[in-house]
Amino acid sequence: MSAPHTAVAHDPAAPATAHGSHDLAAHAHGHDAHGHDAHGHGHQLAENNFLGLPNIKLAMWAFLGSECMFFGSLIGTYFFYHDHSLVGPLPQDIFDITITSISTFILLMSSLTMALGVDAMKQGNRLAARNYVLMTAALGASFVGFQVYEFAHFYHLGLKLNTSLFGSTFYVMTGFHGAHVSVGVIWLTMLAILLHKNIMSPAKAPTNVEVAGLYWHFVDIVWIVIFTFVYLLEFAK
Amino acid sequence: MSHPTGHGPGAHGATDLSPPHSHKKHYIRVGVALTVITAVEIGVLFVPQLKDIWVSLMVILAVVKFVVVVGEFMHLRDDRPIYKILFISPLFLALFSFFVLGILAIVHYAPFGKGYAITAVDKRAGFVPAIGGAPAEDTLAEAKLKELYAKSSAAKFDKGAKLFATSCTSCHGKDGGGLAGLGPNMTDDCYKHGGKLTELYTTVQKGVSGTAMQAWGAGAMSSEEIRETVFYVRSLRGSNVAGGKACEGDKVTD
Repeated sequence: MSAPHTAVAHDPAAPATAHGSHDLAAHAHGHDAHGHDAHGHGHQLAENNFLGLPNIKLAMWAFLGSECMFFGSLIGTYFFYHDHSLVGPLPQDIFDITITSISTFILLMSSLTMALGVDAMKQGNRLAARNYVLMTAALGASFVGFQVYEFAHFYHLGLKLNTSLFGSTFYVMTGFHGAHVSVGVIWLTMLAILLHKNIMSPAKAPTNVEVAGLYWHFVDIVWIVIFTFVYLLEFAK
Repeated sequence: MSHPTGHGPGAHGATDLSPPHSHKKHYIRVGVALTVITAVEIGVLFVPQLKDIWVSLMVILAVVKFVVVVGEFMHLRDDRPIYKILFISPLFLALFSFFVLGILAIVHYAPFGKGYAITAVDKRAGFVPAIGGAPAEDTLAEAKLKELYAKSSAAKFDKGAKLFATSCTSCHGKDGGGLAGLGPNMTDDCYKHGGKLTELYTTVQKGVSGTAMQAWGAGAMSSEEIRETVFYVRSLRGSNVAGGKACEGDKVTD
């Protein structure tokens, strides 16, 4: 299969030499130099806001900023109540570092495939991007599978949502993270379908994939924090 | 699966018609680096010699991973400043509230040490040691209480002793030796309702119906106060004060 390599995918990630005027210059090109608007920046310009930036990307970064505070408070609450549970099981009784390490690795790899998907789409390689996005969704789904197993396992060991402060804070924190991963899996699956059917305009596709990628990487960094600070530190005492 | 055609470094930027240079190799390198860092994080746990720096090492490695994913995978490093502002300022706000929470936690719990639970939450949600629950839960609660008991021991059971003096001596005697016709001796090895910490807790919390032993958990004492009292009572075991009542109930050995 051949990808439309003539696509002019504007790449905000490229080490921009002329940082400030980068975007505007690229758009100007889309207009003057190349008439083939499907691959140019004519569409993208219409989508951009007064800053010359794609609105959805700006919105995603703002959203992720708020997500920092959201997860920050959940993790903070877990810490605040840590070691103040009266009833077992306690974290060190039930955490399984092997299983969690495997699922952490899976999520880390999904971040890599996502980055490769974004990279492929920027080069106009739609079908390669589709494959990477699909792989990312599959890895994400298996991470969720691990979490379902973990929750079920902990529940059978006697840790319920209302068992102790550990139960409440742990399930709420990791549960919200798992919900974010699940939303990401649905999003990426839909994105893969759209890429497969070639429905998105080639001008919009790179930004759309990139924004989904931002969300996905964020979910990964939340897990980086949870894995180290909640799971590993438990064994480092 | 098709991969983007590689572009030599020379081809990059030659013309606007060529797609941007693929960062595939860079991304793979970053992915490998992140995997290695994670492996190191887990690996150091198996090196007891590094025990002293475990925590700081892990915190540093996690921060490195965080920065690498945001900077490289999310390519914020090379992106427009507005995105950086949108993401990094709330991140600092989150860190700030995290530290404030941490300081509050330290201030709140410092006088009591670890294991001290919040009374209001305790009572409302019934977060008290598992009494008569599943065996596994019981064991864990007993283990946890023992751990707390050891800590309270360092404080010479001050709080418990005061509570005992106010609430218990009228029946169990000033020195805990028991009073004829009233409470049993707390300084021998015998208990009528069990000598495990969890059992002592239940007895104090729920009382013993048909006797003068009231349910202290029904408003008179908070769960922390019950615990401190129980710890003090436990510390009396085996001290066998002079003039104490004879053994009542079962002799415990542990």
